[in-house]
Parts: sequence; C-alpha cells; structure tokens
Amino acid sequence: MKKKVLAGVAVVTVALGFAVSPADAAVKTYTLAYQGPLTGDNAQTGIDEIAGVKYAIAKFNAAHKGSIQVKLVEADDQGGAAGAGQVAPGIAKNTAIIGLVGPAFSGASIASFPFYKAAGLTLISPSATRVTLTDPTVASDFGGPVFHRLPSKDDKQGPALAAYAIKGVTAPVVYDVNDQSSYGVGLSGYVQTALKANSKVKLAGADAVDGTNAALDLSAVITKIKGANANVVIYEGYYAQAASFVKQLRDAGYKGIFASGDGTYDPGFVTLAKDAAEGARLTASSAVFQDAGAKITADFTKVIGTAPGTYAVEDYDATNVFLTCITKGATTRAKMATCVKTGTFTGLFKNTIKFDANGDVSGTGFINGFLVKNGVIISAGQVK
Amino acid sequence: MINLRDAGANAWAKWNKPKRAAFSIVAIFLVGLMPYAGFSILNTPISSYADVLVYPVGMYVLMALGLNIVVGKSGMLDLGYVAFFAIGAYTMGFLGTHTHLNTWEILPIGIALAMLAGVLLGIPTLRLRGDYLAIVTLGFGEIIRITAVNTIKIGGPNGISNIPHPPSVFGLTFDIMHPNSFYWLILVLILLVIWMIRRLTVRRPGRAWEAIRQDEDAAELMGVPTLKYKIWSFVLGAAVGGAAGVVFASKALFISPDSFTLNISILILSCIVFGGIGNIWGVILGGVILAYLPERIRFISDARQLVFGITLVVIMNFRPDGLLPRKKREKIVTKSAKEVK
Amino acid sequence: MQTLIHQFWQLTFSGVAQGFIYVLISLGYTMVYGVLRMINFANSEIFMFGTFATVVVSRDLLGYGSDSQPIHGFTLIWSLALALVVSMIVSGVVALLVELIAYRRLRSRGTNRLAPLISAIGMSIVLSESMRLLTASRSVGSPRLLAKTSLAEIGGANIRVDQLMVVIVAPIMFFVLQWFVNSTRLGKGIRAVSMNEETAKLMGINLNRVISATFLIGGLMTGASAFFFETVYENTKYNIGFNLGLAAFTAAVLGGIGNIRGAFFGGLALGLLETYASAVLGSQWKPVTVFIVLVIVLLFRPNGIFGEAVQQTRV
Repeated sequence: MKKKVLAGVAVVTVALGFAVSPADAAVKTYTLAYQGPLTGDNAQTGIDEIAGVKYAIAKFNAAHKGSIQVKLVEADDQGGAAGAGQVAPGIAKNTAIIGLVGPAFSGASIASFPFYKAAGLTLISPSATRVTLTDPTVASDFGGPVFHRLPSKDDKQGPALAAYAIKGVTAPVVYDVNDQSSYGVGLSGYVQTALKANSKVKLAGADAVDGTNAALDLSAVITKIKGANANVVIYEGYYAQAASFVKQLRDAGYKGIFASGDGTYDPGFVTLAKDAAEGARLTASSAVFQDAGAKITADFTKVIGTAPGTYAVEDYDATNVFLTCITKGATTRAKMATCVKTGTFTGLFKNTIKFDANGDVSGTGFINGFLVKNGVIISAGQVK
Repeated sequence: MINLRDAGANAWAKWNKPKRAAFSIVAIFLVGLMPYAGFSILNTPISSYADVLVYPVGMYVLMALGLNIVVGKSGMLDLGYVAFFAIGAYTMGFLGTHTHLNTWEILPIGIALAMLAGVLLGIPTLRLRGDYLAIVTLGFGEIIRITAVNTIKIGGPNGISNIPHPPSVFGLTFDIMHPNSFYWLILVLILLVIWMIRRLTVRRPGRAWEAIRQDEDAAELMGVPTLKYKIWSFVLGAAVGGAAGVVFASKALFISPDSFTLNISILILSCIVFGGIGNIWGVILGGVILAYLPERIRFISDARQLVFGITLVVIMNFRPDGLLPRKKREKIVTKSAKEVK
Repeated sequence: MQTLIHQFWQLTFSGVAQGFIYVLISLGYTMVYGVLRMINFANSEIFMFGTFATVVVSRDLLGYGSDSQPIHGFTLIWSLALALVVSMIVSGVVALLVELIAYRRLRSRGTNRLAPLISAIGMSIVLSESMRLLTASRSVGSPRLLAKTSLAEIGGANIRVDQLMVVIVAPIMFFVLQWFVNSTRLGKGIRAVSMNEETAKLMGINLNRVISATFLIGGLMTGASAFFFETVYENTKYNIGFNLGLAAFTAAVLGGIGNIRGAFFGGLALGLLETYASAVLGSQWKPVTVFIVLVIVLLFRPNGIFGEAVQQTRV
C-alpha cells in the first residue's frame, strides 16, 4: 500500500512539474506571452486572437530554425478584471517573458497595467479600443509607457461608423443597439454623439442586449425597430451576436441598412448570417486577414487548424513587432521597450507601423468602410 | 481509510488548554508562512503564487465560510451569494474613488451595506423553502450584476478603476508589490470568522440554526423564532461576503461587473459541499482545493475547466458528504465546548 | 410603452413562440424535480447537445449547406422530422448519461440533497467544456431548412411559418406527454414515485427504471425544444444552454416546479413577460423584471402558481 502511495505521489509530482526540455546550446530561446480570454464567455475572441499570435511565431520559428526559437506563454484572463489580477502578477514576475501581445479587453488591460508598469513589460494590444487607455490626462486608465495598441480608438471609429451607416440615405431614421459589453457601450456613446450632432438624422431609439447570452431572443427589440420605422440599424458588439441579430432582423422583414463596427468585422459574420449579411456595412481600421491572399490564408489554416478570425491581422502584426525586435537584438524587457517605442515596423499589408508617445499607431485615424457583397466582405474605401 | 475528522476531534478533546493554544499558534504561524512556499511544488505556473493565495484561494475560503453559515449551519440554499461580494466591492470602489475615506474606514460601511441588503432580501424571501429560495437568491445575484452593468454612475460595464490600496498598518505595506500583506489581512479575517462561527455554534443562535436545519416545522413548534434566526444567519453570511468584497476591490484596484457572475456563487457553493458542508475545516479545505486547482493546472490551458468538472463529479460520487464531513448529528453542547467557555 | 400598445399582437405572438420553447425545456427540469426533488443543473447542457444534433443532421447528414435553397414539400417534412427525432434522441441519451453518472450512485446511497446538485453542476461543466473544446469556442450556424415565409398578418402581427410550427407542434408534444404520464403504466409509475418513493418501491415498482425513464422523457422534451430553437434561430454555441436553462428553470418555478401543468403556464407566462418587459423597459432590464415578478408571485404563492404536483411538499 505504502509503495503504491509513493508511486502515486511520484507520478503526480512528475505530472505537475514543469516540462523542462533540454535546450540546444546554439539555439537561443526567447519567450513572449499572450493575454486574453481563452476560457469563459468571451473565449471565442481570445481563441481567434491567439491563433494569429501562434501563426506569426510558427512562421518565425520555421524561418530561424537552429538559431532563434520563440516560445509562447498563454495567460488566460477570461476577459475580466479578476482573471487579469491573477495572471498579470505572474507574467510580470516571469522575467523570461520579454513582450506581451494583449491584453485583449480594455477592462482586463486596466486591471493589469499596475503590474506591467512596475515590471517594465512592453504590451501591444490587438483589440483594446477604449479611448482612455492611451490618454495621459486620464491617469487612472492610462497604460503608458508600457502599453501600445494596433486597433483604432472608439472616438475615431464611432463618428466614422455613424457617417458610414447613414451614407446615401436621404432621411435617416437610426436605431442604435449595443451589446452591453464595455466595448459595445463605449463605441455606442461615440456613435450616438455623432448622430445627434447631425441635424439630418433622427435617432429613433437606443437599446442594449446581453452580449454574453448566446441564445438571445431579440424579437422585442426588432418589434421596436420596426415600430419606429427605422431605416438604419447600428449594432455595437461582436460578430457572432451581430450575425444572430441581422438574421432575426431580416427574418422579421426589415429592409433597411444594418451597420456594425470592427467587432463584427470578421468572415465568421458572413458564415453565420449567410444571406442576411448581404449589404451589411462594417467599419474597421484594417483589412481582414483573408485579403492578404489565398496562399497565406491557406497556410494559416494548415498550421493553426482554423481559418483566421477576428483581429487576426492585429495579432499577427503585434507579434511580428516583437519578433522583429528580437532579431534586432532586443532580448531583454528594457531593450524591447526601446525597440518597440522607437522602431518602425511593417505590417501584413506592407503598411508602416510606428507607435506615438502614448502608444497609439501614429498616423492612423482613418477608418475603412466595408460592405458585404455576394457573401464576401469587400472594401468600400476610407470613410470621410 | 482513517477518519481524519474523528481522529482530529479526539486528539483535540484530549488536550488541555495550553496544549490547544500552542497547537493553534503553531498552525496559524505555519499557514501565515504559506506565501514563502512558492519555490516548491506548490508554485503555480503562469499566475503568481503569492497573488493566487489572496485571490482566489483566500477570498474563496473567506466567502465559503460566510456562505457556510447560511447553507451549512441553517440549511438554506443560497445561489446568489456573489451579490454581497459585489456590494462590498462596489462600496469600496465608489467610496474609495469619490471620497477621502480609506479602506479601513470603508470596510465597516461595506459590511453594513451588505448586511442591509441581506435584511432587505431576507425579510420577503426567507419564508420560502428549499429550491424556491435557491432560485430567488440566484435572481438577486443577477439583479445586482445587471444593475451594475446598466448604472453609468458606477461605471456601467466599464467598472471602476484606480481604487486606492489600503494605507499601511503595523508596518505592513499594501500595494501590488506586497501581495503577502493582503494574504495576512485575509487570514486575520478568516480567523475572525472562524472564531465567530465557533462562538455562535455553541450558543442560542447555533442551536436554533441546527434545529431549523434538521426540521423547520418542529423548530417553529418548539418556539424557535425561525424567521428571525434565518435572517440572522443570512445577514451574517452577507457581512462576510461584503468584507471579502471590500478587500478584493482594494487589492484588484479595478472592478467591473464581469467579476461578479453567477459562476462565483456556484463555485463558492461547490467549495462548501466539496469540502464538507457544515464543517469549518472541510469548508476551508474545499475552498483551498477548488480555488487552487485551476491555477495549478494552468499549463493544460484550455482543458483545465474540464478537469475541474470531472473532479467535482468524481469526488461528489465517492465522498458525497465532502472530503471532511461533519458528524451525523453535531453535538450542540459538548463537554469540551463548556471547557472553552 | 408605446411599442407595447401599437405592436401588442406582434409582441404577443413572438412571446408565445418563445414561451413554447421554454415550456419544453421546463419539462426537463420539472419531470426530474417531480420524482427526485432535485434541480437538474445539467439540463441546459442536455439542451445544448440537442441543438448541435439538429445542426449535425441538417448540415452533415442531409448535406444542406449555407448556400442551399430552402426545401419544400415532402423532403422538407421528413428532413424536419428527422432532425427533430435525432435531437430528441441525442438529448434523451445525454439525459440518461447525466442520471447514470451524476445521480445514480448518490441516490442509491441516500445522501444529503446538495451532493447530487454539485455533482450535476460538475457534469454540466464537463459537458459544456467538452463541446467548447470540440468547437473551439465558436458559434456554429445551422443551415436553413424551413424558409421563414410570412403567412399572414393578423392585427399587425407577422405570422411566420417557423414560429407557427413551434406554436402548433409544441403543445401537441406537451399533451402527448401529459397523456403518457396520466394514462400509461410507466407514467403511473412515475407519478407513484413522485408521490412516495418508499411506498412505490414496496408496491414493486422498479425505482431505477422509473427514474431513468423520467430523465429520458425530460431529455426528449428538452431535445424537441432544442430542435425548435435551431429552426427559429439557426445558431448555437457551447454555452447556449446557460441563459435558456436559467429562464426555463425560472419558468418551472413560476408555474410550480414538479407540476407538469405548471411548466406549461410558467413557460408561456415567462415568454410573454420577457417580451413585454423588453418592449416597455428596454432589453437590458428583462432579467431583472422577470426575477422581480417571480419574487412577487412566490410571496403570494410560495409553491408557484399551480403549486407542487404531489400532496406532500417535502420528502
């Protein structure tokens, strides 16, 4: 009996212990981390995001076989403040990690900042869009100097989304619906401000639905939209629910415009909504990964096992910023900070990425409009 | 298999006062040293071991002890315990950022507000029994969260950021670099709650709760004012939840409604039943294991919730009364209890 | 408020259609509660597996793609029937598994009431996490079997064929179930166990068989509901059952849990209440309104509108 127990303890010990692989002396290994929701209600976003990170690293490791290898630590914060408070101190203490892609969500970012600021760990978020994160006048939310991000801010996207949604409509009657997430509510505020400033627009109503509820019955909202005779519906939220929303809208006989922001800007939106997505207007600051060509998309799908999803471009670019810095010799947190702050990088679409003093990509501020046509998201050019 | 609970209880009963005091002091001292055990096999991958001891481990144990007063002692099924945690946290968040009060001054306010919420919820609903009470409390938990999401004054879905840390006391600094201070703070709170429960159990409220748990109708018939004692147990549980919330908010610096979902209520209830409902030591063990396990197995990333679920099913099937169950009929006034007095 | 007055019939029709989806899921809770006096926390996952069954049948088995045209006539009827039957069977089998793994051992040993609850919660986590890992946390769309043609407009309400199907078929299933429980041998066994387990056992009723049958029937009803949900919403996800299950459980309590008639009226009442509340107060306050109404109802009728089915309230 005792022997059995001892053997059991030994097995458990081995199973729980860290897997330490003997490193080849010639190969230098560096570690990056990703922080975002990998379990919980928002897991979909995190799993789409980490796929982009893993793809960039896989390509890098294949290209640098025998010289540099990069490992990835997955920090699951479940998209919330409580989870961020658990993982952020651990990541901050693990000095092997020299750069972090994320945090994915704005709330989790704010909860993580104190730890990363103290540890001097450089962050590049693919998807945290709250305006105050890069606003040094709001000390409580400001993430500088460690925080950087690639997506456009809500105050840039909000007015653009409002303008794009009503473009070409002679007497716009707008109904605005958000998903009650901090992303949706934040963006919705800027959209509504822009709509109210436009005297031609009638803001017929606004509503909020529960974005974490996968099984949402939206019939009441839709009845209200139809009752208000709205011809433009703007939804601020993520693509899965946007698809469900637009489908229920079309099924109920709504014929007007459906518009949404970068949370919906995902091929999955069209896959889920099918015909109902036709004509939907979307805004985002980049193109979808699939626009980079069929070859790289197929390669992504082959390496990762799923097609590129939401924010895949931002994740790929953020990871490549770190990887470029590693090849330039930025192998400590301090060197990485300088490299990311001062360097100029190239994105997936050969675009230039350079961060300004507050952590935003300098020179951005333009938002592209997109249109779903024949089951494909096509660019409609910059929104003025 | 040795019966740990009985072995422990027997050893304790044989000891005299100084022996017990010495044992307690050594035990508390050892538990207090836990944050320094991070170098060992106990270390958590990815998340920081010292912070994990504060949240979730310490917090879950504290809340599990609080909920145990309601579920374990007086036998009422409460599925909305997270509401009191949220009330405490939001009190800290709002007052901490809008007034000059510090954590120590807000702590009693947070506890008081949580207790008030307990009374307001308890008076109309505690007449309900069993599963009807469960669904109503569950609803209450959701109402608090949804109200927080939709109230812009307290940040709406964005939550409240920049919540101050507690000012230092007894030379202990409370900030992000010193998670140990928070651990010891929670340890003190846990000891206070244990002391409170042990005192109450051997006195009138404890006897009333036991009677209610065993047979509410009979208790009422024997002249126990059941509603009064049910509300008392509910309110005491709420107070502990509120205290945990205040400490959580001033450790996390940032709170938002998504930290207060129904899952927390269910998890805390699982801790109690998993460890041994009604038995303080069982509840503590349950809280420690269920809070610590998902952090320890973070290296399996995606699948760790699955392992958590399997653990619940397996342990409940093979130890339905929990890891450290209470005795079949807890003796209310034992010889040893009199001696303690 | 204006919306409620002007769009009253539209809201009512949507509310009733949603209500019938709740009715069938509530039956999953109420059947199990009736015999075991336990909340089957894993019922939401039984539902979730049913929705995936509908997707797999229509997408993979019948080969309908996202771009295929809606089908008509006989093909439509048997495709729908096949999806319905498979969903019911899958949910029924999952329900049996839940009973076997989460409940049977505990029940036979006669433990406290909370152990099975936690064991069912664990089972629920296992089921939803397995599906989450299988689907990489993504939403999965279901191909359109039934074209959503508008049949008529009555009092401003748009009567859609998919919702109409729910409103017609769901009550039929409900009445079949009621007949089954009232009139068949097995149904009588279920009622006997629900009234008094010990006596039923003494009368020679095979307890394990009756309880398995109860889970199976509850699972079948939940599976049917999953099929109706998929034909209306055409979308599912690993956590789809969570909110629906919560709503259906609330409906069961509202009507009087353990009472089959209670599930019917509770489900309908909840469907209507949710729709009206969203129209008047805004969708964000829907769950709050529902729970406040629930508390008020329970204050006046502590065992729900119709009360518990059996004579003794506690075992």
